Amino acid sequence: MSNGASPQYDVVIVGAGVSGNLIAKQLGVAGKKVLILEAGLAVPDSREEYMNNFYLALAKTPESPYPALAGRKGSQANPAGELPDPATLPTPRATVLGLGQAPNKSYLVQAQPTGQNAPPDPKTGEIRGLQFSSTYERNGGGTSWHWLGTSLRELENDIQLYTKYGHGVDWPLTYTELQSLWALAEKEIGVAASVVQQEPLDVVGLEYPPGYQYPMGPIPTSIVDQTVSGGVSGLQVPGTLPDTPGGSDPTMYDVFVTPTPAGRNSEPYDDRRVCAGNTNCIPICPIQAKWDPTVTLGKALDTGNVTVSYQSVAYNVDVRGQSVTGIDYYVWSRDDQGNLQKVSKSVTAKIYVLACHAIENAKLLLLSNNQKGIANTSDQVGRNLMDHPLYLSWALTDQPIWGYRGPLATAGIESLRDGEFRKYRASFRMEIGNEGWNFAVGDPYTTARDFITGTNDSNLNDGGPNGKPVRLGGTALALKLNNLLTRQFRIACMFDQSPLADNRVTLDVDPNTGKPNHTDGLGIPRPKVEYGMDPYTMEGFRMAAFVCSAIYKQMGATEFTRTSVGATGDFTYRGQNYHYYGAGHVVGTHRMGNDPYTSVVDASQRSHDLPNMWVVGSGSFPTVCTANPTLTLMALAFKSADSIIAALK
Amino acid sequence: MTTNAPPSEATVQAFADMSAALTGFQSSFIRPFLDPVNLSGTFYEFAVAQVGQSMMDALMSAFATLSSQSPPISPQQIADSLLEVTSATPSNQAQLCQAIVSMWYLGSWYPPPFQTDGLQQVISSQAYTKSLVWNLAQAHPMGFSPFTFGYWSQAPASLETFGVNTGNGGGQ
Amino acid sequence: MKKIVTIIVLTLVAVTMIVMSAIPTTMATDNKPAIVLKSQIPGDAQFGPLPPNATNEQKLLAIQGDFDIYSWNTFIALNWPPGPDGNGDPNKTIGQYGDNDTVWEHYRDVSDIFLAGGKKPSWNGPVTVPTQCKASYKPGMRILSQVGKTPTVLTDFSQPFNTGPLIDQNGNYTRYEILVNKPMFDYILQNTLYSKAGQKVFSGTVKFPCGVLNGAEGAIMVKSSWKVISAADKNRFHTQTVLVYSPASQNPKYPASCSTKLMGLVGLHIGHKTNSGAQWLWSTFEHVDNAPTEADVANKKFKSQYNYYNPKCSGQNCTPNVVPPRPWNPTKVSTFHSQVVRMNMFKGNEFAFESAAARNSDALKLLLGVNQNSVWQNYELISTMWPTNTGQCMATPGDPLGTPAPNFLANTTLETYIQGMVPNVSSNCIECHNNATMTTPVPSDFTYILQRAQ
Repeated sequence: MSNGASPQYDVVIVGAGVSGNLIAKQLGVAGKKVLILEAGLAVPDSREEYMNNFYLALAKTPESPYPALAGRKGSQANPAGELPDPATLPTPRATVLGLGQAPNKSYLVQAQPTGQNAPPDPKTGEIRGLQFSSTYERNGGGTSWHWLGTSLRELENDIQLYTKYGHGVDWPLTYTELQSLWALAEKEIGVAASVVQQEPLDVVGLEYPPGYQYPMGPIPTSIVDQTVSGGVSGLQVPGTLPDTPGGSDPTMYDVFVTPTPAGRNSEPYDDRRVCAGNTNCIPICPIQAKWDPTVTLGKALDTGNVTVSYQSVAYNVDVRGQSVTGIDYYVWSRDDQGNLQKVSKSVTAKIYVLACHAIENAKLLLLSNNQKGIANTSDQVGRNLMDHPLYLSWALTDQPIWGYRGPLATAGIESLRDGEFRKYRASFRMEIGNEGWNFAVGDPYTTARDFITGTNDSNLNDGGPNGKPVRLGGTALALKLNNLLTRQFRIACMFDQSPLADNRVTLDVDPNTGKPNHTDGLGIPRPKVEYGMDPYTMEGFRMAAFVCSAIYKQMGATEFTRTSVGATGDFTYRGQNYHYYGAGHVVGTHRMGNDPYTSVVDASQRSHDLPNMWVVGSGSFPTVCTANPTLTLMALAFKSADSIIAALK
Repeated sequence: MTTNAPPSEATVQAFADMSAALTGFQSSFIRPFLDPVNLSGTFYEFAVAQVGQSMMDALMSAFATLSSQSPPISPQQIADSLLEVTSATPSNQAQLCQAIVSMWYLGSWYPPPFQTDGLQQVISSQAYTKSLVWNLAQAHPMGFSPFTFGYWSQAPASLETFGVNTGNGGGQ
Repeated sequence: MKKIVTIIVLTLVAVTMIVMSAIPTTMATDNKPAIVLKSQIPGDAQFGPLPPNATNEQKLLAIQGDFDIYSWNTFIALNWPPGPDGNGDPNKTIGQYGDNDTVWEHYRDVSDIFLAGGKKPSWNGPVTVPTQCKASYKPGMRILSQVGKTPTVLTDFSQPFNTGPLIDQNGNYTRYEILVNKPMFDYILQNTLYSKAGQKVFSGTVKFPCGVLNGAEGAIMVKSSWKVISAADKNRFHTQTVLVYSPASQNPKYPASCSTKLMGLVGLHIGHKTNSGAQWLWSTFEHVDNAPTEADVANKKFKSQYNYYNPKCSGQNCTPNVVPPRPWNPTKVSTFHSQVVRMNMFKGNEFAFESAAARNSDALKLLLGVNQNSVWQNYELISTMWPTNTGQCMATPGDPLGTPAPNFLANTTLETYIQGMVPNVSSNCIECHNNATMTTPVPSDFTYILQRAQ
């Protein structure tokens, strides 16, 4: 809604997350005037409120510290812990507690458990109608408040999956360019690692420019890491299992452990403290030893050129011809009675940046132009939704390895991330967890309650007569729990899931009337998600299960991995049940590429269709690759910032 | 909400001693000589608010009887008795003891089955940051580490150092 | 099962310790501790007898009282007029002429310890005078350059969530400085901890020397906060005319500046490593006019003026304890004024209130007795944080933090924005300082100053 006057801002950015804050900072330093529209609440002055939310939360999910829009069970405001209806909230988002729920509790409108696993599609072999299990935040700082900190670089073959292995698509960037961009991101975040320690991974194509040094020395490995590392010594696994559809890769690959580069301080850096091993990276580091986007936002604000408008929800991108001409947004607030109020506003700028998360970016693009959608000549907006679906396995060692200590993860098995097998099945990395069975079964609570009350939710309390659970007290209880808790660990496998056109985000509207089936509290239509897995991905699960079991066997550990049948986040493949989690790595919904007919943005994340609009974030990833996405998405944001500054000249 | 007078020192001490027996921790760890956090007092008052004074009094009386046996019985025997560990249908009092163990271990109130209107809740942030199940893991509550950089590379201190009464003479 | 009952034995000489505690749990002396006007810095707290059959609260109150007496005695001795050797001059008395130069202001400023290039510092050497200050500098002048505990310029001091500057009601930034006493300085010098290179080769455990009652002084670090004042206010503050220096900054962008200003002391942190304080003892004092309490605000019981609060505040920026919006530029007068309220961080630890109030009352009488116009009457002890469970100059195994009392403590001028009661985040001297390391991640014995090494 331009009135012809020169816009007050050079750039308007939607979303104060990783990408938005980084781009704002770069622009601010370059003297450009920036407005960030952030849907959610402001970054608080201290993290007292967030930590207190976390301490008091019964379910310590990734969302548990953040603004209590999802009502903590047992909280004063919501003692019964009813999940609020997203239709009443100004900034509802996907939450762990909302998974598997109906739309009156789940923001994302998507599949719910039916108690049955859908059979595979006879033509494609895909299992459709699966739940998308990843979640995110909508507040100042965004989802990466609760990233783990893992800052791995992608592999050379990750970004040329199609050329090399005939699967997926290639990225429109060279590895050399990404290497320079990663260096910038590693400095911004403050990544602790040692190139020397990463050298064994040149077998999977991880290379650094000569002489490259990380900003800080590496984080020490944990006893869990050291034990696994010793335990897998000499272990090799084949590229594919017998009867893998499409072909086989009989090469034997070495299984070995390497420390994980991480965005957490191994020395005082950037006015922040050194890691004290609070073992709480997800959901929140109490001392900010782990970088989060508010650090970069602070620097953006320091430039004096960046303003943030909080509680500002963009709902329409205005377009005339091939140009974005403004963004319409609601500023929401609550009156004294707690009722939601909204005021509609517009803002214009020379350049517009959508940076509000892969799902929200897609939603906004599809909503705009009276729900006809914009920037979508390619028809790829919302499509190719990917995650790193996560296969979790867990085991009990026979000697103590002392989990629950140190950062949540300090090492992994990266040595299986590349090879010929990628023609036939999804690749994966393996994250060694330091938090015992916390992720796996909700320990130490579950096992403690098992032995206090005589239940067996952990599968560890079956030692009574006839395999019945026992109840213990006193020293006997203490020693039993000590014996069990100190021997727990888990491995998470994260898959390079295929981009599928039918894995997509759309608007949840009636196809005939265009009226939304479900809206949020501001009347904005909610995203509908359709998701499934193809045999390529599921074959990856089959391999991962095999490798995990082989590792535990070689270590002399007893495996306790379970899968439930027909529960949310399950599928059955080749007769085996697999439970999958979301890793929180949401990518693909506005993929980048050189061809405007098959991609939404170019290598700088600039829209093909609308040259004064950039759509940034992991939504631009053409494939999900094998590394956790945050480092790479920040690297891409540096490139975007440069291109925006060039376009403003 | 009733506002009772705070419990006497003797009452809190007795509750702490009983908690030590039930949880397997050293008494001096549960109720140190100087106790600025005073979880013993907090948990006592919380439990009374949940189940009523008379039920708590009955429990404390049962504990007093058990701990004044002659010849004395061990803390383990007291715990097993109060928790009725061999019973398939533990009494309300034993269920209350389970809830007390859970308060110390997990910082939370898990309503005993007889408390039909009970609400599962974390008692306070301090109850969480001082919860004891993490000591059984020889670790620390997630989100509260009193240790310093790199500690996770080394084996932890002994279970006794973490306050547990292992029955090997560490503490009492 | 019975807890071992501690028996209080009254003896004149011998002390019976049941546990190897640093706090004598059974000791009674014939000298009950008291606040005194003495220039001798206490090497440690002195403990009086515990009431017989004391409850937990009573014990805590009694020992808190001993530590608060220690804090006042330390405050008095540190603020004593110095003689030529830098120690308190026994021929003078604190406040006898209203205001006075102080012992602690002759301690070594950390900016003169951690020099560019890791150069070796000296106790008595010249002060580092920034270029911009050279014209106005007169020997003996102090240079205040810090604007926050996480100054945006000096990338060193770590706090959870950059706590931001404190801006007074006239738009001037509050300034900070950190100084250390000779024992602390000597330890740094002897172990070459004043440079990055020296810290890298240090292979031991950093352990500053412990003070002992009637013995060694032990390591002391002082952090002070200062406000720009007008000459009219001089008699209500301890004041100094200093050079206020702001180094040039890249982001936010502003040039270096230096100007002479009359500053009034508004806050004083004293950290002291002692036998009974293996995790150090943390005393904090504030100017009495800094801010109203929560209760004052609720009851609308206001003083006529505050250093950091406007009772008549109207409009947007009146929410208390809000961090000023970025960018922070200390070279300019700000349109944002910090509206500070002292929050109650002693819920459940009411003994801390009770003890501080009693000791403040005693100290005030003493100070006024010297001179009705003593500027020192305008300072009050907030509290002393001390470890309740610790060994003699070493932590008790299994309790690295020493279970501090009270559970939380903040100075409204130094921890303005974390005045809460959330563990691991709200201000707790020992919890936060436990995270302190050198430039390497080696623990630095509860001080952040070693991070400044270059």
